[in-house]
Amino acid sequence: MQDYDKLLFAALILGPILFGALALISPSRGLRNAIVIIAAILTAGAGAFLITRTPLQFFMEPWTAHLATGLEFLIVLIVLGLAINIRSWLIAAMALIQLGLAASELLLPGQGGGTESAAPQFVVDNLALILVLVVSIVGSIICVYAIGYMKHHEQHAPPTAAGSGRFFFFLVGFLGAMNGLVMANDLKWLAIFWEATTLCSFMLIGHDRTPEAKNNAKLALLINTFGGLAMMVAGLIAHLSGHGENLSDLTAGWAMLPMALLCLAALTKSAQLPFQSWLLGAMVAPTPVSALLHSATMVKAGSYLVLRLAPAFSGTRLAVIIAIAGAFTFAAASALAIGQSNGKKVLAYSTIANLGLIVTCAGIGTPLAYAAGLFVLCFHAASKGLLFMCIGAIEQKIGSRDIEDMGGIMFLMPVTTVITLIGMGSMLLPPLGMLMSKWLAIESAMHAPLVLFLLVVGSALTVFFWAKWIGRIQTASYHREYKAEKLPFTILATLLLLVLAVVAGGLMTMPIFNAWIIPVVRGMTVAAWTADGLAQLDLAGQLPMWPFLVFLGLGLFVGLISFARFKEKNVREPFLCGENIQGGEHSYNFRSIGDSVNTAWSASYYMGSFFAESWLTPWVNLLAWMVILMLFGTMIGKL
Amino acid sequence: MSASSKSPWIVHYNCNSCNGCDIEFVACLTPMYDVERFGILHVGNPKHADILVVTGSVNHRDVRVLRNVYAQMPEPKVVVALGVCTSSGGIFADCYNIFGDVSKVIPVDVYVPACPPRPEAMIDGIVQALGILERKRAGEVMPSAAKPVLTLRPTAAAEAAPAAAQAAEQGNA
Amino acid sequence: MTLTPQMLTVILAVVLGPILGALVSGLDRKITARVQGRWGPPIIQPFYDVLKLLRKEALGVNRIQIIYVWLHLAFMILTVVLLAMGQDMLMALFAYTFSSVALILGAMSVRSPYSRIGSHRKIMQMFAYEPVLILLIVGVYLITGSFQASSVAQQPLLVKLPLVFLTFLMAAAIKLEKSPFDIATSHHAHQELVKGITIEYAGPYLALIEITHFYEIFIVFAVVASFWATSPAIGLGLAAAGFLALIVVDNVFARLTPMWMLRYMWTVPLTLALSNIIWLYCA
Ligand code: SF4
Repeated sequence: MQDYDKLLFAALILGPILFGALALISPSRGLRNAIVIIAAILTAGAGAFLITRTPLQFFMEPWTAHLATGLEFLIVLIVLGLAINIRSWLIAAMALIQLGLAASELLLPGQGGGTESAAPQFVVDNLALILVLVVSIVGSIICVYAIGYMKHHEQHAPPTAAGSGRFFFFLVGFLGAMNGLVMANDLKWLAIFWEATTLCSFMLIGHDRTPEAKNNAKLALLINTFGGLAMMVAGLIAHLSGHGENLSDLTAGWAMLPMALLCLAALTKSAQLPFQSWLLGAMVAPTPVSALLHSATMVKAGSYLVLRLAPAFSGTRLAVIIAIAGAFTFAAASALAIGQSNGKKVLAYSTIANLGLIVTCAGIGTPLAYAAGLFVLCFHAASKGLLFMCIGAIEQKIGSRDIEDMGGIMFLMPVTTVITLIGMGSMLLPPLGMLMSKWLAIESAMHAPLVLFLLVVGSALTVFFWAKWIGRIQTASYHREYKAEKLPFTILATLLLLVLAVVAGGLMTMPIFNAWIIPVVRGMTVAAWTADGLAQLDLAGQLPMWPFLVFLGLGLFVGLISFARFKEKNVREPFLCGENIQGGEHSYNFRSIGDSVNTAWSASYYMGSFFAESWLTPWVNLLAWMVILMLFGTMIGKL
Repeated sequence: MSASSKSPWIVHYNCNSCNGCDIEFVACLTPMYDVERFGILHVGNPKHADILVVTGSVNHRDVRVLRNVYAQMPEPKVVVALGVCTSSGGIFADCYNIFGDVSKVIPVDVYVPACPPRPEAMIDGIVQALGILERKRAGEVMPSAAKPVLTLRPTAAAEAAPAAAQAAEQGNA
Repeated sequence: MTLTPQMLTVILAVVLGPILGALVSGLDRKITARVQGRWGPPIIQPFYDVLKLLRKEALGVNRIQIIYVWLHLAFMILTVVLLAMGQDMLMALFAYTFSSVALILGAMSVRSPYSRIGSHRKIMQMFAYEPVLILLIVGVYLITGSFQASSVAQQPLLVKLPLVFLTFLMAAAIKLEKSPFDIATSHHAHQELVKGITIEYAGPYLALIEITHFYEIFIVFAVVASFWATSPAIGLGLAAAGFLALIVVDNVFARLTPMWMLRYMWTVPLTLALSNIIWLYCA
């Protein structure tokens, strides 16, 4: 390990935290903005530079083990303090148990004795690299976006809201914690960063300090502390049973119970059913927080952990249950999204569903599935980050996040709307990334009938809510010309940057798959993988891209030509039985009984009788709890 | 005949009709008369239609609707007015709510008077309209004198039958 | 450049596909008329319709809908190309789905209540038949071990997928807008939705939708025929039988509500298809 690797390592983990602290204490907004931008550029640069240095292993000095223990205690104590502060005795109890676990781990001798120092504390392999790239690039873009967003938010936020300095500290610091999490190999360090992300999200969700925000922040803390608890138990068991206290030993040693516990922790963090409620509650936070939680950080930590463990449990009964849990989440969350008219909630459910897809892929565990999981992870981060940023901009303009209120924004804010359309299109349109990953996932699920069925149902449901929403936002009357709206520079720049990434990445899905994902997957050594499975991977990679590009290009090209050739004289009002009132933006007005003026209006279908959240949630949660119980039931069966 | 006159799609607008004409017109769709053999479809939507079939005299409220429906049809398009009501206001001419005949609102291409006209006469009127549609397609601007008015006494049903039969042959050709 | 047999198939499918589709559609109208005791339009009537529409004035409500109608056509042709190349069937299905989505989005971009309701019903239709189509592909995979469309030629699939074949016909009734499922738009007389999803498309744009529909018909019957791909004669017979069955169903049933369609498609056909798939897993 060279010195500048250490520097790189520090830049990725400590850099954002340090810059966040600077933002916290910076006296003026200008300075703070500059600090955030510098932090973003440095973090993204460091992330990109890591490509050239992978794979890396960091062996830390022995004294850092004590540092880790100290930090672990510190963070648990912070959680305990917070719990007492917000009077949540449940969280306090869990924190106390964690404290007890940490103490007993210190006191009880491990079976393995001194083997712990043998494994590196931090490891950067290809999986970690992909995550670091997502965190540091997409995350940084969101941080820069937040500059423009928060300026507006400060003026409209409730008076109780915390200062923007604190906001940026946690926002930027989040990236550091996340980078640490994905590179950590030692379970202690993993737990520390895991809890750190929980704390960051607690602070960010509660930012506005309204009663709702406080409540939802509490919920997030509760569920994620539960996950943290599971992780610590896993650590203790690993410690006592003599499996090394790090991921690489655990995965090599087939330590099933710790792995199941780690999976449980991962499910809570990535808001899989039945733990989805905290992520939905997190919507009260300012939108950059949602963007960050959903695309680059937090929930990705969970799916990352499952992917990390996947090679180890591949082929076991645990894997089967994990795949079912993910697929069930995929289907159920997509169904729940249909009944929602709150745009951010639809996005939240879609995130949960897509994370479910990643978990499914990890559970299926064939090379093709694994590649699909990686694919979803990357493309989802970019698309979802973009969509949240767009919705944030739209919400600030129209003052509502309800889908039904978004008709006509095509005229109000054409640039944002077109970017939003591209973002949403990337969820549905072949050959863009999300669709390709769904395709790979379904193909890899062919030998698991139940999982396959759930994926099929989920993918049919997905089309439903996206089409509905896209249809609403692009609804417009004829306008001779569209004037681009004024957006704050940071918002516009980040939107453009990310949409460019989504389009460029989307048009090159198969080359990316062949040039990058396949070598990554092939580079892994997994006992359960067969030559047959690897051949499947190559077969999927042979899908030719040209027909897609040719026809997408042709369709758009000819479409745009007719678009340009369509003149005002060709415009007619929509058919309203001839009762239209002529002219202008209000051409959808018509004369009704007694010559009164009415506006034609038709809301989207939400099918509330079946897809209502309040009705459906208890049932799907019940089923999801059953799956969680099965997860541990397989363990007991093994004992 | 070119394709345009082999696929006339109709939108039917009932102004202030007593429904006599409408019932007869709908009878044209039945197996007895089967206008679909000429490719005629009843689309019910001006945006897809080539022929606007109007029945009844125009009342004040109809004026704007008729204009809108006519405006929403893509060129080339023709208007066929069925029944005496459409040509003069018919028996409703002096009613308080009547604006007048159809040609006061939109240009009419074919009148099929009678009260109500027989389905054969209506089909004949539409077949006449096809000729006009064809000429309009070719870019011809039609003076109103050049537009046919079919007069048909009830006893002259026999006259109409050969015309319809002839049209049927043309349609199938 | 030499023409490989594969390229020839692609070109033939793209050129002849819509022509065959239009003929089938014309035949459908003729037979339907005969069933109803009418003479009916000439079989080449769909060609007249499209030619007429192409030469009409291009009216529209806004400009966005135009882009989508082209995407609708482009992705339908893409589906034909992918299938003719013998490529991945699931990917072809996704391309096909997007083609329908494009039509829906175009119709939704318009401030018209009829159009919106029509497109929502179309979404429900897609939602109703998608699982059945994916299960069809699953069934083929379980038999041939491959997702390539070219693999269906190895053996008669009907023998092993009789129930899936049945459910595919039901899905086809939705795709071809046949009663009892013709809820989004319809070729018959006056609808409660005044042509629903296509209402705001006029002239050439409507012609494009019609042409796309011809491709769709072609795809549907090509798939039906491929259930017995080893012998073209039996395959064609199968397609003809399916076609007649659809016409009979169309004439016998009334149009039913979207919710009824959803409930039906997610129970009876799905159960049938699933049980077929499950016995394949067990076999
Ligand atoms: S012409 Fe005669 S049948 Fe026709 S609408 Fe007038 S009154 Fe009624």
